[in-house]
Amino acid sequence: MFAELDPILHSQLRLAVMSLLIGVKEAEFIFIKEKTNATAGNLSVQIQKLKEAGYIDVVKEFKDNYPNTTCKITPKGIDAFEAYVKALQQYLQVK
Amino acid sequence: MEEEKELSEQESLKLITEMIQKAKGGFHENGTSAILWGSVVSIAGFISFTENYFRYYIGFDIWLIVLAAIIPQIFISIKENRNKKVVSHDEKFMDATWLVYGISIFALMFYINVVPSVSEHFIADYDKSQLLIKNLQTGAIQNWKPFIFGQSSLYLLLFSIPTLITGIARRFKPMLFGGLLCLALFITSCYTTTMWDMLLMALAGIFNWLIPGIILRSRFLKGKNC
Repeated sequence: MFAELDPILHSQLRLAVMSLLIGVKEAEFIFIKEKTNATAGNLSVQIQKLKEAGYIDVVKEFKDNYPNTTCKITPKGIDAFEAYVKALQQYLQVK
Repeated sequence: MEEEKELSEQESLKLITEMIQKAKGGFHENGTSAILWGSVVSIAGFISFTENYFRYYIGFDIWLIVLAAIIPQIFISIKENRNKKVVSHDEKFMDATWLVYGISIFALMFYINVVPSVSEHFIADYDKSQLLIKNLQTGAIQNWKPFIFGQSSLYLLLFSIPTLITGIARRFKPMLFGGLLCLALFITSCYTTTMWDMLLMALAGIFNWLIPGIILRSRFLKGKNC
């Protein structure tokens, strides 16, 4: 019996964001935007979805008088990511 | 990158691997601090060595440039923190390591400058004694002031600690080998005179920080241009 792939993570941009955040302590919005090559609007929407799922924490503050958004993966997000990778491995082993 | 593109399992795995690699590349140190300290220590070491070897004096203690280098380091640190877009998991640990190292260097300078005169006072207080040194050829007896033997060895040992920690923790071979070489220089310095110790200090500056710093810098610029 295969575990279902988490629909929140099984989307290109959201998975890319989570994969970036799993390897770092925290990252600024601009860094994620640069690495994913996503548009600011699209990225904002996907980050909001990840935040609503409780997978990431988003902190909005001012840095040098400019608004700055920092994202950090949560323990729930780490568990979800690990479960997603395990499920992927199951699928790939069968194929 | 599209939001809702249907991903196959292979594509998902490929994307995860690619993003993890990109995240790794995101927090390359720019190497400025390592280049600064590597240059300062190697210049001071070489000039100190040539002063002793060719018997000349440049007019001031060249090691004062180490203190002067703190000023640009403060600006570099402020600028780096301002431009930092991503924080790695080991960032605090690395910062603490180098901060403790900096404090230890100043503590060692304090120890080397204070302990001899304190020892002299203790000796003078103890049974009204005085340390004397006798020239066996001329028979002349002179007052002898205590000092710390092998000062450079202590510095070399201290230099190697944060470099080795960084090399091991970040799996950064240039610093790992630089740190190991510094330990070898420390052992060598136990058998050499102060003049040659200065040359060893210069070599430590080059291999511990200058070369790894240049490598970090080139990787940083490469990553930036990608």
